[in-house]
Amino acid sequence: MWARVVEVMLGCWLAVSPFVFRHPAGELALWASDLFCAAAVVALSLLSFWRPSRHAHFATAVVALWLIGFGYLYEPHPAPPALQNDVLVGWLLLMFAIIPNESNLPPRPWRDFFAER
Amino acid sequence: MDEYESTAPDLNVNAPPWKYNPSSWRQRVPICLLAGVAFLIAAYMALYQWRLIGDVWDPVFGEQSRHVLDSDVSERMRRWFRVPDAAFGALAYLGDLVFGLAGSTRRWQDRPWLVLLFGLDVIPLGVVSAVLVVLQGAVVGAWCFLCLVTAAISLALVALAYDEVWSTLLYLRRVWRRTRSARVVWDVFWGRASREAEEVALDAERRA
Repeated sequence: MWARVVEVMLGCWLAVSPFVFRHPAGELALWASDLFCAAAVVALSLLSFWRPSRHAHFATAVVALWLIGFGYLYEPHPAPPALQNDVLVGWLLLMFAIIPNESNLPPRPWRDFFAER
Repeated sequence: MDEYESTAPDLNVNAPPWKYNPSSWRQRVPICLLAGVAFLIAAYMALYQWRLIGDVWDPVFGEQSRHVLDSDVSERMRRWFRVPDAAFGALAYLGDLVFGLAGSTRRWQDRPWLVLLFGLDVIPLGVVSAVLVVLQGAVVGAWCFLCLVTAAISLALVALAYDEVWSTLLYLRRVWRRTRSARVVWDVFWGRASREAEEVALDAERRA
């Protein structure tokens, strides 16, 4: 579950980044995107620990794509630091979101097969 | 053989065509460490491109490093990626590290998608970026020591990582040859076991 732990940490970074990068108070879209994505990432990663919702981390990839797209499209080049942060965090999340939960064990069907060997 | 050994799954098997297991930690950890070093170097250069630090260390070419990192080529890449090209490179090396760490010690067989993703990150991306770095030296007319170091690491990573990718491709081909079923190959690719896939796996064990 190490990928899920990293995702939670990235979610926390996303939650504080509006304050780190000092979004202007009027830029509601910037605030909303970062804070909503942060909440979604943390929630989805934690949900992945619960067996019935163990696939929730795949939805993190959707959040990641949103972050990358938002960072690209919200303002043209040159992107301000806050949006560069969105793009980078988006790529990082995309990378981690596709890592399976028990990634260092074989997938379940194979585990049974190997165990019989 | 004690009780545990006889029941624990034996993940550490040789992967054809090699006489060793390319998915073992002994094989993968060095790749991850090397990718980690390259990540740190690239991140350091990104700090300069962000102007979070004022200078970049270069014991050989001196201030040429700054010309390379501030060049038009680099600026154009920044337009594409929205972030400095060194930051994007750092991301790719971190990807090598993360995809290198994930997966069991038999992942060449039980998670082909992961090994191939790892391979895509290490091999085509590594070769292309190494070529770009060298080209940049030729185009810009200046050289950057740390860029060349990361390019060298990229090529070393290719040399270290290709064996596992090759094993996975051979395994997928063997499944295809045996079953001629795209459906089975698809399932195997995504790490779903099937009777046919298991037979090929047993076959591979006998062969190795």
